[in-house]
Amino acid sequence: MEEPKVELDDLEVNQERLKQNTNQLKNLRVYGSLNAGIIAGTLGMDGWIGIVIYIAIFLIVSACLAIKMNFKVKEYFRSSYDAYYSGIGTDLLLFLMIWVIFHNLVNIL
Amino acid sequence: MSDILIDDRIRDWVFLPIIIVMFMIQMFRGLLTKYMDNRKTSQKVTSKAQLAEMIDKNITQQSQRLARLHGLLPDQSFKMKRAHLCDHESGILTKASQKPAKDPMQSMSMMNPAAMADMLKQNLSGIVFMALQYQWVSYFFSGFVIGKVPFPLTQKFRTMLQRGVDVQNLDVRYISSISIYFVLLFGGLQKIQQLMFGDDNDEFVDDTQMQMQMQMMGMPTMPSLGQQNDPGKLFIAERTRLEGVKHTFELNKSQDKAMKSLKRFLMQ
Repeated sequence: MEEPKVELDDLEVNQERLKQNTNQLKNLRVYGSLNAGIIAGTLGMDGWIGIVIYIAIFLIVSACLAIKMNFKVKEYFRSSYDAYYSGIGTDLLLFLMIWVIFHNLVNIL
Repeated sequence: MSDILIDDRIRDWVFLPIIIVMFMIQMFRGLLTKYMDNRKTSQKVTSKAQLAEMIDKNITQQSQRLARLHGLLPDQSFKMKRAHLCDHESGILTKASQKPAKDPMQSMSMMNPAAMADMLKQNLSGIVFMALQYQWVSYFFSGFVIGKVPFPLTQKFRTMLQRGVDVQNLDVRYISSISIYFVLLFGGLQKIQQLMFGDDNDEFVDDTQMQMQMQMMGMPTMPSLGQQNDPGKLFIAERTRLEGVKHTFELNKSQDKAMKSLKRFLMQ
């Protein structure tokens, strides 16, 4: 039976909405990694260029998010680091997996 | 190094089946966990020792909550609550910290009936499927090359990625089927599953990730660690923390905060 963590500073932040936002952001990042993997795989990228593509698409997704929010990060997330840069390592494995699968499907097999 | 041509039939009968089967098993596991969660009833307190443990846990929760949210209380009520917990003779924390330290072996046996059954069920849905898939893949699909990884790797990965293929000078980029299994396992079929199941499964994902890490470390861990051994010290720590809290009632600052947010709103 866990009680929700409420810190005093966060009394001004609506917890439910923040949670919804972070969930949506997580879904968005997963879609972004999937797309990056498919692009890198089908184009037959080799080696380090693939990782560069992943970072590029990650930043493009963050930029689109910024445009959608009209650059007012504080109204939607806790900090700009959270919204733009935080999950880059966790979805890297997902990207690698999709990259390997599509690279094999399209180019080799 | 010339490229190896891989037969079309490998793709049709090996590569795609492995991916599809692993994905299906992952979905099935998700449904299974959902089903078992629905059937789980709340734990009943069955013994006196377990009751005492629950009381201790509630006391710690109460004192932690007080230490965290003290700004919500006006001065008088905060002082009363703190005295109720920390008073020299009659405070709950002082009384609790004078109890003798529990024997670790004894306390571990208390967790057995309910927690062990829970852990067994979780392990079942996690580890059994992993082992089953590994056996399946390595029995049916061993001994040949299945694909190529897009990035260059060192020779150290050869044993992991080319298990069953005994050609010595083969480029490390060519992988055997068990390595596809590993890539899929670690890569996160869970994330894709999350996309499908929606967002009411956050706890599920955390559980399986934790389970996998626990299995990797090879040590069974109890749900609540470290507090069994010496509750007295814990209570003393809580007491010193509560006594050191500088209390200000947040309502006193509320006018300033309201002014600030009103200004910020008007200036937009």
